[in-house]
Amino acid sequence: MSKELIRLRDLTMEFDGERILDSINLYINDHEFLTLLGPSGCGKTTTLRIIGGFLTPTSGTVTFDGKCINDVPPYDRQINTVFQRYALFPHLNVFDNIAFGLKVAKCPKDEINERVNRMLEIVSLKGYGHRNVASLSGGQQQRVAIARALVNEPKVLLLDEPLAALDLRLRKDMQNELKRIQRETGITFVYVTHDQEEALSMSDTVVVMDKGRIQQIGKPEDIYNEPKNAFVADFIGESNILDGTMLEDFKVKFFGRTFVCVDKGFAPNEPVDVVIRPEDIDIVAPEEGHLVGTVTNITFKGLNYDIIVEFKGFKWLIQSTDYCAVDSTIGIRLNPEDIHIMKKSEYSGMFGDYSSYSAEFDELTEDAADEEE
Amino acid sequence: MKRNKSAYLSLPYIIFMVVFTLIPLGVVAYYALTDPATGEFTLDNLMHLSEFLPVLGQSVLYSLVSAVICLILGYPVAYYIAHRGKTAQKILYMLIMLPMCMSFLLRTLAWVGLLQDTGIINNFLDWIGIGRLQLIRTPAAVVLGMVYNYLPYMILPLYSIIVKIDNRLIEAAEDLGCTPAQTFLRVALPLSVPGILSGMTMVFVPAVSTFYISLKLGGPDTVLIGDIIERQFKQANNPNLGAALSLLLMVLVFLCTGLMNRFGGDEEGVVV
Repeated sequence: MSKELIRLRDLTMEFDGERILDSINLYINDHEFLTLLGPSGCGKTTTLRIIGGFLTPTSGTVTFDGKCINDVPPYDRQINTVFQRYALFPHLNVFDNIAFGLKVAKCPKDEINERVNRMLEIVSLKGYGHRNVASLSGGQQQRVAIARALVNEPKVLLLDEPLAALDLRLRKDMQNELKRIQRETGITFVYVTHDQEEALSMSDTVVVMDKGRIQQIGKPEDIYNEPKNAFVADFIGESNILDGTMLEDFKVKFFGRTFVCVDKGFAPNEPVDVVIRPEDIDIVAPEEGHLVGTVTNITFKGLNYDIIVEFKGFKWLIQSTDYCAVDSTIGIRLNPEDIHIMKKSEYSGMFGDYSSYSAEFDELTEDAADEEE
Repeated sequence: MKRNKSAYLSLPYIIFMVVFTLIPLGVVAYYALTDPATGEFTLDNLMHLSEFLPVLGQSVLYSLVSAVICLILGYPVAYYIAHRGKTAQKILYMLIMLPMCMSFLLRTLAWVGLLQDTGIINNFLDWIGIGRLQLIRTPAAVVLGMVYNYLPYMILPLYSIIVKIDNRLIEAAEDLGCTPAQTFLRVALPLSVPGILSGMTMVFVPAVSTFYISLKLGGPDTVLIGDIIERQFKQANNPNLGAALSLLLMVLVFLCTGLMNRFGGDEEGVVV
């Protein structure tokens, strides 16, 4: 439907002999909202900076509209960037910040006025033109940064964690705002974030990265429902990941029991990773369950309870609206479509065990991720 | 409780200011407003000041020219240092500081040795057949002396401002279509205005009141206000007039720094 606009071919990047990016291959379509998602240091910002022209890849090519742009400096690219923490010019007011690119391009004055004012309206900052940028709130500065980039009508807009510095409420509002702007302008967005929820709710395509490599590319639904390896399954949402054996097509064995599933195409008796999403698990009476376990912990999360259940020494996370008392014995049922099978990978065995689960631990790691770069 | 403590801590500083700044200022004002012979209150000394306006004008002119030359020479140096690696920055910073560790008098005298009629430069010019030139006792020599002595005072404040300019602003400018030259003119230069003002002040203030540089490198035509003041105390033995001239110079310096700070608008970081 839409044509390819940017292609990254065999991109590698090294700093001081350390490999930051490893054979990145990716194409970005015109009008697409594509998100690079991954934890700190996964190479997503580096990839974005290469597209923006601020870094030259160690090897590989970047093509734009079919032409290699490796040696094109940032000011000659039809790409604009919304920087992390905005990078607004402190010596210019809101209007002049937004008008910056147009003035450099020597636009006639009337046109600058018209386009900047229209932009101020789009980002709901009408009447703020003469304000000093330092006097604006985080959300307002962020919208100025978006307006400053968009007013140039770039082919592609790069956004580097633009919402990371905002509080949760504002972040949700701005997500909707950004999505609306992207739909209205039809500009291709390449968005970098470590927030999986943000990535899933906004994007047409999600690129999951880790350790400088692309782990999976796909639609948000596909990434969530059919994670390719344990890393993706763990990073996108919560997952219980178990060792299993694929007996034959549609039959998988784990915890000493054979389950019917919907996956096929594995070798007979191939060892696999089995993913079970916590919200897919049905809690039933012990005698009706496929598996029987003991509740060791329960936390109220608002929408649901996070219940930790121990099955034969392995702890699972189950999300349910039903309350289960600690130390009670419960049974669970798994439907075939709730069981996702993945090939073994370097990430096998690293994720998906909730033995060390604690609610505080979750928040701690999220804070650490916020401070990246 | 905390307030009291900080008051105690500032006490030595306040005593220092009173003894070495406020009281001497009072003494200067007292001398400026009294008659040399009778010691009575008079405005005579201040009346005489208008005779010295041409000299004052010349001092301001020389110092301004020096400050501008320092800016032109110093900016690229400061910019260069600010964009080196951490270690290189430290070494270069030290190299700029190094001449300041040597006596100001010695540095000026060294230029006499270079520039005088039988100095190193003229001997060399004579030897290669160009002949001796009038180098010393010229306005250019005085300006050279000022630029040479005060250049570090321009480079250091410029450096400290430029090094703080956020690199993402530079990238943002490039991203919005600026060539490196445009980036400099539209972003880097405007953002270094506080450093420029501070550097200009740091060069202008000592240059406008100097006497040694013009004494050693200048001639009869390049007398500065500092020379006149020095003469009142040493040769003319008229400390009252000298004090009045000092007051005038002080007012001028205050006006100039005030003006520069105004220029900076609400920009922070103008240190005098």
